[in-house]
Amino acid sequence: MLAPYLVGLVGLVLLPAAVTLALAFTEYDLVNPPSWAGLANVSELVTDPVFRVALTNSLVFALVAVPLRVLLALGLALLLHRRSFGSRPARVAALLPTAVPEIAYGLLWLWLFNPLYGPINQLLRVGGENGLTMLGRTPPQWLTDPTDARAAIILMSVFTMGETFVVLLAARRALPADVYEVAALEDATGWDVFRRVTLPLMAPVLALLVVRDLIASLHFSFVPAFVVTDGGPPPYATTYLSLFIYRTGFEYLRYGYAAAATLVMMLLTVAAVVLQWRLFRRYRAFYRL
Amino acid sequence: MSDVDLTHDAGLTLDGVSAAYRGVTVLQQLRLTVARGELLVVLGPSGAGKSTLLRVVAGLEPVTTGRVWIAGRDVTADRPGRRNVSMVFQSYALFPHLTVAENIAFGLVVRDVPKVAARERARTAAEQVGAAHLLGRRPGQLSGGERQRVALARALVREPDVFLLDEPLSNLDLALRVQMRAELRALHDRLGATMAHVTHDQTEALVLADRIAVLRDGRVEQVGTPDEIWHTPASRFVAGFVGSPAMNVLPGSGPIQPSGAPPAGMAGEREIGFRPEAVVLGEPDGAAATVDRVEVVGTDAYAYLTLRAGNPVVARVPAAHRPARGDAVRVGVHWADTHVFDATTGLRCAA
Repeated sequence: MLAPYLVGLVGLVLLPAAVTLALAFTEYDLVNPPSWAGLANVSELVTDPVFRVALTNSLVFALVAVPLRVLLALGLALLLHRRSFGSRPARVAALLPTAVPEIAYGLLWLWLFNPLYGPINQLLRVGGENGLTMLGRTPPQWLTDPTDARAAIILMSVFTMGETFVVLLAARRALPADVYEVAALEDATGWDVFRRVTLPLMAPVLALLVVRDLIASLHFSFVPAFVVTDGGPPPYATTYLSLFIYRTGFEYLRYGYAAAATLVMMLLTVAAVVLQWRLFRRYRAFYRL
Repeated sequence: MSDVDLTHDAGLTLDGVSAAYRGVTVLQQLRLTVARGELLVVLGPSGAGKSTLLRVVAGLEPVTTGRVWIAGRDVTADRPGRRNVSMVFQSYALFPHLTVAENIAFGLVVRDVPKVAARERARTAAEQVGAAHLLGRRPGQLSGGERQRVALARALVREPDVFLLDEPLSNLDLALRVQMRAELRALHDRLGATMAHVTHDQTEALVLADRIAVLRDGRVEQVGTPDEIWHTPASRFVAGFVGSPAMNVLPGSGPIQPSGAPPAGMAGEREIGFRPEAVVLGEPDGAAATVDRVEVVGTDAYAYLTLRAGNPVVARVPAAHRPARGDAVRVGVHWADTHVFDATTGLRCAA
């Protein structure tokens, strides 16, 4: 019964991972056979300024985008979990951006972000004069200013929190109604209910989603950076680890070096998984019922 | 029955309260009073509206008509938190992420009672229900009985005007239920609190209550002391619901002719009810019956009989003198042990 899964796991995950691990210690250009390089790739990574920028970009992206995504998803889930007027279409709307294929999603934003005729900046210019916003400031240069470009990538990733939203919606609905009735009888206010009941009860799910999103954020920054900003504005404002690895491997044909960078990404993922594990064990002891 | 005098200054008064759930009327023009310091048990079968009654008092369900008074205040328009009531849920509804102490103190903490005072009151409340040793634990580490105690402590920590208990004992095993029943009664007597306790267990109602309100299809069928409910059930429904096995009810015209002097008011269509313990087996001029089956419960036995006319009758007999299955017996009953009901309305006739 497990055989098909095992074949997939070995052939598509474990074997490539092992090959990557081995390649990390070689020099390999996809043409000539790999030659042993020892720790040369690793020591180059340590001193490579581009890799450092990519790593920093990835970490900053994760630290900003993941909390934003989870907070937005949580806010929407708490707002829309009831069966009330308009909540069903609103739920669908919250979910829709996640359903758009990644490349199409990227191309869509490329249009949205256009500094001149893109809808976002047109909206920002409403009420302002001479192409300035209402507050008299220059609208964001989404694709040419380094900070604005990083913000653009984060903005794009925030709207694909549909999956997180659905999980939180289900988690909120699974909470027992009676504890909320107790809270009502004790005259707990909305903020007290959120802080003392909803948040702690959803904490295990939230923690797991944050860790899962941290892991995923290493990947979902790739397509926007690739399609929308092309890793720029120059030189490397939106070059993330994933894009760095892609470029190094498939454009510069330094497969061994790319493998070494992949190893770093893998270590980050493992660290997140360990964190997830520990959280999970803690909560399981905590909420034993 | 339901035209009792209502006083709005009682512990709790429902004045003509109706309530609906998803368009279906659950409570119909309910009139009911719980005196201050009284333990009223609301008894009825599933779907009679017992829980809805409590939830209406708590403010968790709206009324469609009528007013709710608590301790002399009209609270009909107040939100739950302003009614000063505590509720104990069948499911206990403890917060799984809080310790027992934090669970008990929850209502105090959200009302900004200082921490030290809240902790002290939580401890006192826990001591009153015998849960002081549990304060540091979490609900997940407690047994059903322990959770029940914690839920009770949480209800009484705030000294509410009315306690609402929604089948709080029904999730406990029998031995524990009997023990908690006694403790609950003792707790009530100690606190002198106004309590409305909902149950479908007639034994629990008879043992626990100062007065019982029997609910049927959203209406009060009878309110009275356990003695009154048992000895003078106001209707065929109450007679059948209270008592196990249920009271025998037969057509007054036919199958069994009680001995002695019939009470006044036997004219018209009547039904005769008598409890299994009132049945006399072996009465020479009694009605002929056959024994279908016999259940022995310790020193008692219940004989399930069928009269010649086809009516079923249950008789309680000493286990030592029980008949055997298939035996032909003669069944009698004395007028003094019977209850007479109007056949069409089901209401009690005469005294």
